[in-house]
Amino acid sequence: MSEAGRVDGPDPDASSREALARVAAPETGGQREGAAPDLAEFLVCELDGSAYAIAIERVREIVRMRPLTPLPRTPEWMLGVISLRGEIVQVVDLRMCLGVDRAEIGRATRIVVLHGDDRISGVLVDGVRRVLRIPAQEIRPATSAGLHAVSEVCRDGDGFVSILDLDRVWDDHAGS
Amino acid sequence: MAARRAKRSLSKAQREFVCEAEETLERLRADLLTLAEQREGEREADPDLVNQLFRAAHSLKGLAGMVGFDAMSELAHHLEDALDGLRMGRIDLDSPAIPLIDEAVALAAGLLAHFGHQNEAQQRSDARDVADMLARIETGLDGPAKGPSEDAVDSLDLDPAMLRALTEYEEHRLRENIRKGRHVSLVETAFEISNFEEGLGELSAAIREVGEVVSTLPSPGDSPASQICFALLAATRIDASALAERLEFPDTSVRVLAEGRTTAARDAQASVPESGAALSGIGAGTEAARTKQRAATRASDDGEAPETPEFESLRSLSDTVRVDIRKLDELMVLVGELATQRASLSRTAARLLADAATSAAGRDLAKIDKLLGRKLQQLQAGVLDVRMVPLRQVFERLSRVVRRLQRDHGKQVRLDFRGADTELDKLIVEELVDPLVHLVRNAFDHAIETPEQRLAAHKPAEGAIHICASQRGNHVVIEVSDDGRGMDAEAIRVRARAAGLAGEADEISDKEALALVLEAGLSTCSEVSETSGRGVGMDVVRSNLTALGGLVDLASEPGRGTTVTLTLPVTLAIVQALLVAVGEECFAIPLNAVIETLLVEESQIHRSEGHEILDLRGEALPLRRLASEFGICAGEQAAYVVVLGLGDARMGLLVDRLEGQQDAVIKPIQGPIQQVRGIAGATELGDRGAVLVIDVASLVEDGVRRRDAA
Repeated sequence: MSEAGRVDGPDPDASSREALARVAAPETGGQREGAAPDLAEFLVCELDGSAYAIAIERVREIVRMRPLTPLPRTPEWMLGVISLRGEIVQVVDLRMCLGVDRAEIGRATRIVVLHGDDRISGVLVDGVRRVLRIPAQEIRPATSAGLHAVSEVCRDGDGFVSILDLDRVWDDHAGS
Repeated sequence: MAARRAKRSLSKAQREFVCEAEETLERLRADLLTLAEQREGEREADPDLVNQLFRAAHSLKGLAGMVGFDAMSELAHHLEDALDGLRMGRIDLDSPAIPLIDEAVALAAGLLAHFGHQNEAQQRSDARDVADMLARIETGLDGPAKGPSEDAVDSLDLDPAMLRALTEYEEHRLRENIRKGRHVSLVETAFEISNFEEGLGELSAAIREVGEVVSTLPSPGDSPASQICFALLAATRIDASALAERLEFPDTSVRVLAEGRTTAARDAQASVPESGAALSGIGAGTEAARTKQRAATRASDDGEAPETPEFESLRSLSDTVRVDIRKLDELMVLVGELATQRASLSRTAARLLADAATSAAGRDLAKIDKLLGRKLQQLQAGVLDVRMVPLRQVFERLSRVVRRLQRDHGKQVRLDFRGADTELDKLIVEELVDPLVHLVRNAFDHAIETPEQRLAAHKPAEGAIHICASQRGNHVVIEVSDDGRGMDAEAIRVRARAAGLAGEADEISDKEALALVLEAGLSTCSEVSETSGRGVGMDVVRSNLTALGGLVDLASEPGRGTTVTLTLPVTLAIVQALLVAVGEECFAIPLNAVIETLLVEESQIHRSEGHEILDLRGEALPLRRLASEFGICAGEQAAYVVVLGLGDARMGLLVDRLEGQQDAVIKPIQGPIQQVRGIAGATELGDRGAVLVIDVASLVEDGVRRRDAA
């Protein structure tokens, strides 16, 4: 069915995987193939002006903002559902999950489609910056004072990037 | 040798013996009757049956030995010998064996009747009878031993280790089957350890439909740790590839060990040639026949097939194509998407028609669109039709469950079916098995009383469970009813109050009490009296049905029985949907749950006890506003009522606008929130994007509950 969607016409999502690779290119100097086994890869997203990292294995694709169908009887952070080449996917306002104000939709706004266990879900982010590749030993546990959804941090240049534990986000919000 | 005991009163152990021996004899008699019937019908004696007889005699011997009932023990010992001879083929079934065994069993029953009550004279007469019978058995059954045909088994392409694992009896059965020209194959399979018993039982039953399971052996196999492998030695009337075709089990393969002489099923009981000829077919081919093998590849095996009848039987089987249900799902999705595309074609045609400059082109396009629509409908109906399977298969499984329960519990229950040809979507049928098994078990375990209780209540000793399926429009209704003790509404009320589901002061009608049984909180309690324990697991049945978009209804009359009614949509794959709008939002309602739509004025809506109702031709129809249900800002006045009906329940849904009908493929909504009550899924409708599909069953259910709670 997804194939049928693709031949349908100019689909803005079709190239999102390549886009993902392009975002990654400056960081890696085009040497993705020879990645050392102990390198961790993250997609760095912007949320309320700060950088958050999502493990790249969880990211299926990145799509532009599109019309959302609101899902009744759900909490405020559930923005609604989108149709993604025939699949119906819930989209979550990640800012609200992290305790920040509701997201404002802008030109840079993207829906990051995540996969894991047996279902997919979408999270709304203010923007997608790049792919970060760092040695696994650079990852440090986050201080207990921080957000529950942030379990680890890593150094990126002069600053730190918070690594989002999406399972914790779902546990805290969706209940299970 | 004669019984030495002459006690008037029996000890507890002796009473238990009499009871057990009686049951064993009863079983022996029933099995002998079946065996006689099989012989009369010129059918082949069922080897399992003979084996069962042998085991019954064996246990009778053991029982009698334990209480020192020598006469009985001696008689049973000889009976066992005779039956062993029968099952091992040493004694021919046509010999006077069966009537003689019959007599011996009758004598054993007579001995049992005298047990503990005999006087001297009776003892002597019994001893004489036994001695007499033993002599007759010895002379009457000692037929000439048959010449062994060892080669038959040795020439099988079978792992020697496996061959060694066979018992003497199994080896005999194997030989016997080869002699009869049966196809011998090795069915290798793997099941999850957690539920292998059930799977193995079903696989064996499927093989028994066309032959015999000679032996079941665990086998090493390279399966994941969570699985357990088995090798079943099967002797069947159909060849290995046909067998593979029949066995719809995952991870199961069939390997030919010996090709039999293919005899069409109808002349299977025709006289079998002598054993020498039978060996010619053995070891002829060992090609692997996989379960998934297609009809097409089977044709290439024809070269190895020994003779024309084989060819014929293959041809008749290859009319059928087995298809993975997922392929049908894909087709269904495609058809659904085509329907969506067609909808935009219709809109384009309408737009062209509306404009005077293009109306001619619009008319042409509209005509094409209409024809396309008709063909599309046929295509859809065709694909749907392929998915439909009769309920018969499920009913057969239920029969097996009841047979097993009867064997284990010794309760007499008759199970009968109506409407086995009623068809349902394959996926729904699969999902229906567990709930139905649960309902039947419930009826057997809890509802049907013991024979004594039933007789005391002036009911026949044998209980009855009726299952009746019928199609009503777009729904299939399945009723499971029993003539058991029924549910005691008062006991449920007490239980409900104790569980805090209802206050002390709340009035609970009988109907509401039954509805409470379907609620989780009440049904999981086991320390309730036996009568209300009936509810165990009913919440599971309900949630299974809800997941399928169906409903469960419960009706019960104390002392008379209980009827559980399941109402299900015919298919899940594609539905005709009514599009409705509230404010800016659009929703789809499956049309099979819509009875009618009405235009209403606010003035026609009345309030009663805090709830809105509509006077619908004299009936009070409870109303709910979709806008307030789903927290949507709606227009000032709701204009339409969609009358929803499922089972007997009716409810009106107030919406702003009706926006036509459309075919919809209902898809699950993926994401962190698992389920939203009232939403069954979503569908993609062309330019509208994702449209939520309303779960009518849960809305109606909530509506009924709310009204009842008032």
